[in-house]
Amino acid sequence: MRALGLGVRTAILLTFAVFFIAPVVWLLLAPTKSDEALITSSPFSFGDFDHVALAWKHLDAFSDHVYRRWITNTLYYALSATAITLVVSVPAGYGLALGNFPGRKLVLSATLVVMIMPAAALVLPIFLELNALHLIGSSLSIILPFAFFPFGVYLAYLYYATAIPRDLLDAARVDGCGELQTFLRVALPLAKPVVALVFFFSFVSDWNNFFLPYVMLADSNQYPITVGLSNLLSSTPSFNPSVGGGGQSVNIFKPELALATLLAVVPVAIVFVLSQRALVRGLVGGGVKE
Amino acid sequence: MANVTFDGVSKVFGDGTRAVDALDLEIHDGEFMVLVGPSGCGKTTALKMVAGLEEVSVGAIRIGERIVNDLTPKQRDIAMVFQSYALYPHLSVRDNIAFPLKLKKTRKDEIDRRVREAARILDLEPYLKRKPRSLSGGQRQRVAMGRAIVREPSVFLMDEPLSNLDAKLRVQMRADIKRLQSELEVTTIYVTHDQVEAMTMGHRVAVLRKGELQQVGPPEDLYQRPRNMFVGGFIGSPAMNMLAATVEQRNGTFEVVAGETRIEAGGEILATHPALASYEGREVVLGIRPEGLEDALLVDGSAGRPRLRGQAVLREALGAETLIHFSAAVRPAVTDEVRELAEDIGDDRAPALTGDVEAATLVGRFSSQSKIREGDAIDVAIDERALHYFDPSSGDAI
Repeated sequence: MRALGLGVRTAILLTFAVFFIAPVVWLLLAPTKSDEALITSSPFSFGDFDHVALAWKHLDAFSDHVYRRWITNTLYYALSATAITLVVSVPAGYGLALGNFPGRKLVLSATLVVMIMPAAALVLPIFLELNALHLIGSSLSIILPFAFFPFGVYLAYLYYATAIPRDLLDAARVDGCGELQTFLRVALPLAKPVVALVFFFSFVSDWNNFFLPYVMLADSNQYPITVGLSNLLSSTPSFNPSVGGGGQSVNIFKPELALATLLAVVPVAIVFVLSQRALVRGLVGGGVKE
Repeated sequence: MANVTFDGVSKVFGDGTRAVDALDLEIHDGEFMVLVGPSGCGKTTALKMVAGLEEVSVGAIRIGERIVNDLTPKQRDIAMVFQSYALYPHLSVRDNIAFPLKLKKTRKDEIDRRVREAARILDLEPYLKRKPRSLSGGQRQRVAMGRAIVREPSVFLMDEPLSNLDAKLRVQMRADIKRLQSELEVTTIYVTHDQVEAMTMGHRVAVLRKGELQQVGPPEDLYQRPRNMFVGGFIGSPAMNMLAATVEQRNGTFEVVAGETRIEAGGEILATHPALASYEGREVVLGIRPEGLEDALLVDGSAGRPRLRGQAVLREALGAETLIHFSAAVRPAVTDEVRELAEDIGDDRAPALTGDVEAATLVGRFSSQSKIREGDAIDVAIDERALHYFDPSSGDAI
């Protein structure tokens, strides 16, 4: 009976695992094959690295190296917005958690409301606002709306409200810190884990942001990778049969698309690994007696 | 160096709680003042007001000649040791100790000199490069002390600095802090809920209850002459036995009667407690320190002394002396003070305490020669010169 139970459980788990892993494996293998082989050969067969090189050549050649520009654009947008986010949200969370000022609860609730509001819902009013400021089409139209990251404020708020003993901050004040120094010398260095967390989440959400730049930007040279990929998709004969006619030669097929998608994930993966290191727990350990 | 003065200081929190109520207290220059009381008595709030970590609602706090109510902690020239130590976990021991000096922009060689000096005094030299998390509780506590003394402040504030240490270390640190304070001669306010710390460390002790100052004075004064039942019950371990008694007059002599025990309140007692006569026919609370009781078999000429008869319940042989817990047919005094003190030591029977029972359990500090065993019927001699009398309604000493 027990063996049967174990067998059933294993079967269920395996089914789920295969269901979710299969598309990822397929994507990883896709750039190693030709467009034709992708259809004809076994979905999980490995082609060769020459095809990867070829796919990169095609991808890179697309529209005068525009793929590289998309990656660079995205890095620029995401890093700028994340930098502003960090400068803003960590002190904001600190203030909301430990400050005592009129309107504190109101600001906190507002932060939560904005946090659960879908970003797309705000795109139209943001568009109108940026239009009034004559910023449509500039990189600021992508960076500024994402420089405020309510989830980051909330994370910092949670951290300061729960993980930092009040005594530490009081000790700093008695030792001669003003309020700003208390934050900079004690509260901020102790918040490394939350800074890393906010950095990661903000970067990922900026990196994956599609709708806002799609609305704000007209020039494909300014696209971030998300909008670029959809542009690339519509330039693929297999997805858009109108492409490739009239003597154009666009060498973007499914393997190139797969490669473009995979490469777009690399920076996010690097950021993840870097922030993971700083997330190591126990930084506060030993300062106060628990 | 400076004295610290509380001038009618009150603290009312946002929810209306009055944590400190019209506190008047002067701590002299170089004095070691202990604020003691059960949890919630306002002692830590009072300390934090001196530190500038809590605002003063009413009244004024002076450090030296300056009123400091509106000064930030930074401007007050104080150093504080926290119960949790509050060491900066991201800094080494050296940097923790140097932290206040760096903020004062002290010269580097001077910082170095003072940190080394503090480390030497506190035996921290081998640990200067370590982070707080790799130190033991006692070492962390010493780092916190180090951070306070390098400042050379005019006032030390200590908030239950020993309560997180184990008993043995606590005894040693108690002596260390006392020695350090007398060497440095810095005005010190020390908050504790431990009356033993209060008695052994302070030049003077201030007992607080529900935000109000009950009594302030040298430890022996508080012990010998408690101003009220609360102070009498709080100071001293084991605590003072509190019995319900009545004052009667027989043949022209006043007697204090508790159960079958009659204590003659003759000239000597009336001379020290003159108001006792006015309680004739009324109830009083009789306070007996455990050392005011002795195994009657061991007292020469105890025949004439007042006695309590009872049954031994528990024998605790401490070596030099023996504590005997015994029940006797007397009514325990049950007042708000008694309930509060019982609650403070974690006795959850406290709210249910009533004065209706006809037997009280008392503790006597007997000579180690006493042969009393648990279950024995015993005769206990009372030293009538060492008794305390309180008014049951006001709790004040008579």
